[in-house]
Amino acid sequence: MRSRTLGDRTLDAFTYLVLIAMGLITLLPFANVVSKSVSEEWAIVSGKVGLYPIGFQLDTLRYVVTNSQFLHSLWISALVTVIGTLASLVVTAMTAYPLSKRELPGMGVIIVLFIFTMMFNGGIIPNYLLVRELNLIDHLGALVLPALVSVFNMLVIKSYFESLPASLEESAKLEGARNFTILFRIVLPLSGPVLATIGLFYAVYYWNDYFNPMIYINSTSLKPLQLYLQDIVMNADTSSLNRSAEELMNVPAEGVRAATVIASTIPILLVYPFLQKYFIKGVLIGSVKG
Amino acid sequence: MQTIAAADSGSIGARGKSGRWKLIRGNLDMYLLLLPGLIFLLLFKYTPMYGILIAFQDFNIFTGISGSEWVGMSQFEKLLHSDDFFRVLINTLLISLYKIVLLFPVPIAVALLLNEVRRMFFKRTIQTVIYLPHFLSWVIISGLFVTILSPTGGLVNEVIVALGGHPISFLTDNRFFRSVVVFTAGWKEVGWNAIVFIAAVAGIDQEQYEAASIDGAGRIRQMFSITLPGIMPTIVLMFILRIGSLLEAGTEQILTMYNPLVYDNGDVIGTYVYRMGLGQQDYSFSTAVGLFNSAVGFVLIVIGNALSRKFLQRSIW
Amino acid sequence: MKMSTKGLQLTAVAALLAVTAACGSNGGNDAAGTASQGAAASPAASGSADSAGEKPTLRRLTVWQDQDPNTYPVAQMLEEKTGYKVKYDTLPQDKAADKLNLLMASGEAYDTVHYAADMALYSDYAQKGALTDLTPLIEQYGPNIKKAISQQSMDALKIDGKLYALPSMLTYKVGSSILIRTDWLDKVDMDMPTTTEELKAVLKAFKEQDPGGHGDQDVPLTMNGDNAFLDSIVGAFGMPNTWNDVDGELVPRLLDPSYKDYVGYMADLYKEGLIDNQFVVNKGATTKEKFSSGQAGAIVIHWADIPSIDEALKKNEPNATFAYVGALKGPGGEAGFSGNAGFDRLTFIPKASKHPEDAIKWIDATLEAETFKELAVGEEGVHYTVENGAFMPILPIFNDERNLANNYMSGTDEANYPLYWQARVHKNPVMFEAFDQLNNQQPDEVKISNPLGLAPYMPNYAKYNQQLETMVADYTIKLIAGADSLSGLDAFQAKYKAAGEEASAKEINDWYATAAK
Repeated sequence: MRSRTLGDRTLDAFTYLVLIAMGLITLLPFANVVSKSVSEEWAIVSGKVGLYPIGFQLDTLRYVVTNSQFLHSLWISALVTVIGTLASLVVTAMTAYPLSKRELPGMGVIIVLFIFTMMFNGGIIPNYLLVRELNLIDHLGALVLPALVSVFNMLVIKSYFESLPASLEESAKLEGARNFTILFRIVLPLSGPVLATIGLFYAVYYWNDYFNPMIYINSTSLKPLQLYLQDIVMNADTSSLNRSAEELMNVPAEGVRAATVIASTIPILLVYPFLQKYFIKGVLIGSVKG
Repeated sequence: MQTIAAADSGSIGARGKSGRWKLIRGNLDMYLLLLPGLIFLLLFKYTPMYGILIAFQDFNIFTGISGSEWVGMSQFEKLLHSDDFFRVLINTLLISLYKIVLLFPVPIAVALLLNEVRRMFFKRTIQTVIYLPHFLSWVIISGLFVTILSPTGGLVNEVIVALGGHPISFLTDNRFFRSVVVFTAGWKEVGWNAIVFIAAVAGIDQEQYEAASIDGAGRIRQMFSITLPGIMPTIVLMFILRIGSLLEAGTEQILTMYNPLVYDNGDVIGTYVYRMGLGQQDYSFSTAVGLFNSAVGFVLIVIGNALSRKFLQRSIW
Repeated sequence: MKMSTKGLQLTAVAALLAVTAACGSNGGNDAAGTASQGAAASPAASGSADSAGEKPTLRRLTVWQDQDPNTYPVAQMLEEKTGYKVKYDTLPQDKAADKLNLLMASGEAYDTVHYAADMALYSDYAQKGALTDLTPLIEQYGPNIKKAISQQSMDALKIDGKLYALPSMLTYKVGSSILIRTDWLDKVDMDMPTTTEELKAVLKAFKEQDPGGHGDQDVPLTMNGDNAFLDSIVGAFGMPNTWNDVDGELVPRLLDPSYKDYVGYMADLYKEGLIDNQFVVNKGATTKEKFSSGQAGAIVIHWADIPSIDEALKKNEPNATFAYVGALKGPGGEAGFSGNAGFDRLTFIPKASKHPEDAIKWIDATLEAETFKELAVGEEGVHYTVENGAFMPILPIFNDERNLANNYMSGTDEANYPLYWQARVHKNPVMFEAFDQLNNQQPDEVKISNPLGLAPYMPNYAKYNQQLETMVADYTIKLIAGADSLSGLDAFQAKYKAAGEEASAKEINDWYATAAK
């Protein structure tokens, strides 16, 4: 090991201190929701639950995760997330690669066309009519296809491709490889970190998407988890004095809300730690290049 | 800009029609790769774009777009002439600028610091923990802050009182409200926004560090001379895109945090339009507000890109 | 950015018109028009159903519920009783009106739609030709409907002489008031307040004598910032509803002669520390926290919300007791609660329905007296018992199998439903007591019906209503919290009138003049 300078040691101390402090304060809200999900209802209602549970119980969580609609929605969400993420990743990378070659005629214009749609869109009605024309209303395809390429994500991948050493592709070109082959055989295998990042972004998007299912899905059997979650959370947030007695009597308990939030968030939270190994694999670029 | 060597036998400097044509012909499969993305773009993004026209109409429910009366810019005039428009525009710009100036650098700093951590378990744990708040809705986060910041028994004020100060009513005091908005937005999104920079750091060629070490560069110097330049393309990209949403100061967040006592400093375009139901029964007006935001955002992105090309030699297109 | 609700509605209706115009241009009677549309769309699926006697699967769109509407026990019970299979879809909880508009606009072929009694939305749909006229269908297929629903209710829903929806009746008049800790009253040795002055004295005693025992943490009266006009107090100043009758004309609160007095009274409470000093940032949940942890002496709350705080309060303070403050008398001798008026829900048959006749037959079957009773309260001995003429729920099965029953109704058996319905209120004795106190023990003259409860769609009122209400609520909150002063009232009133009040008031009073006769 190389010797540690004073500067290095100060840096280390500073780094750990700052990161631990950040970790602690960002953990607060989550700790609060988790505590609520396993506390007794009376303690939550009277505002006694802070960062640790009061009157520990698991009945609320059990009630939430054994609800048949919860389980079904979980399955729908998982399906949409997996299929959507894979499809989006492939198409986005395929789009980003040619656009990273700005010397090719037309690419600059196409990039601007993409960026234009980040800011401008036609609004809900024309989108709804389009999806209806495509016979995708009440079809899971409506949750994936209209969101297939995120321009933001595409630009991140494109920026990454641009930063790859050009020499790699050149040598493959000299050996007569087609662009198609270069993308899938050389470029993508070197793009672990960015693909993991964008995969995470897409997965989180598909998992958290509430708006498209609300607009495009009618059948209870096709509703994903976020729709279910949003309905439960919204149900309790609406100002209570303007509501009917029936609604108020059926408002889910606060503990149930917290447990629903936790149960529907944890699956997607698990994706990041799993992907983190690809963030580190990216470090190997240098050695691949050799 | 990163230079990329000519992809084919056609030279990069090839000028004129024949050169361009040669470049296209030699890279037909590149255009083929682009096809799915282009079809998506045209079908799902540009086909519905006609909806923008509604902003220039007094949209009539009996006749639809084709038969509605055209009113030119009058929907925009209605927005610009609203009593409080000037105030909410200023608030929007201020809150947005504070967020950009104060919060944009934080995720970058976090990525740089995380890169210095050698203990993988610690690194992963911190990465995971700081992105947790992103997954909680503003309703939950704001509810928590109301409690933490309460002048009667809130954690922060108990500390202030213990240090000999007077309790501060953060959420009802115009002097503090914007700071609270900026701070809580940072709290919620720093970890999430750091991910893209963490990934960029991971893409940096490790050989550079080894070479620098051999030259005797300390880690702080390596951070500023290798890591930071290494993620500069990502920083520039993120910054240009970020200024595109200048007029979106955090509507959803502010809606859950503000109250009539802090409208003077906290009311932004999005919350004002929402609260007043200005777009109600008036699809044309809400489309016009959206279009106003989009136009400003797009112009800013174009300017940002041009400035960046000129001064940083990097650009999105 | 967020899409505006009403904007979306409008556009949706536009698209809807295009659809209905395209499909129903023959101008014949509704059933025929719809049948031909159905036949054009899918010849095999419709048209023939009536003659062949085979019952089609009906599609029903209903309000959100947290359980799958297709597997909820009531669905199965109705299928057995009516012989119709029904596929239920639900609207989202959030932005329900947006989604409903999209579905109606795109001609989604629902056979029945069950939604909140939003009269503006209903009359708008009806006038745009999106709904099926039910009168001839009921005449032909609806003997039970005619028996169950009073002519008066049907008349109230008629638009240009035609009936487009069946109403679910409202079952109670008064929802919320000030709930006060009666054990605190005993501790400070005072009686239940009956006037605004007495209430103030009580709150003062709560503050000075601190019967809660938490010192500065205790709040005499907690309220939240979404609610500038406190029930019971605002009635004491003669303004129980958002628009009130002042000398034969409807006037909004801001322009009411009593507005100043109400604000003055409330601002005084605030200044003296008798109202929660954090009320501006409080949400509903915050006020409930303060009351159920024993730190608040009084709270404004709906009776249906009481079970949630009752349990927590009893855990925190086992000896706590509470009761509603009745309709307080104000300085001018006025008193009153805002009384529900109109209907709870409406059920209609969209023009796009492929089976309007079967839909009405199905509705008729659900309103058959015994079927409706079983729908509403279940089976005697299983779901409920009858004690002294009152329907008492058997728990927990009543909760599990009938809690959501009202979502399955398409109109109500008006003679009997209020009785059946009280089984729900009896689920919790504390809730029943509170309900009983407000709705049965208070004299009828203090339940002042919202005069706009049955108002039809009025374009200006619909357009400006939210903005006007927001302006008044925000202004009132500022006045109460001392962040603004009444010296600017005239200027603000002028701004308010110009922001759409004048246009709305004209519409409202034109209608009110004809409706009041």
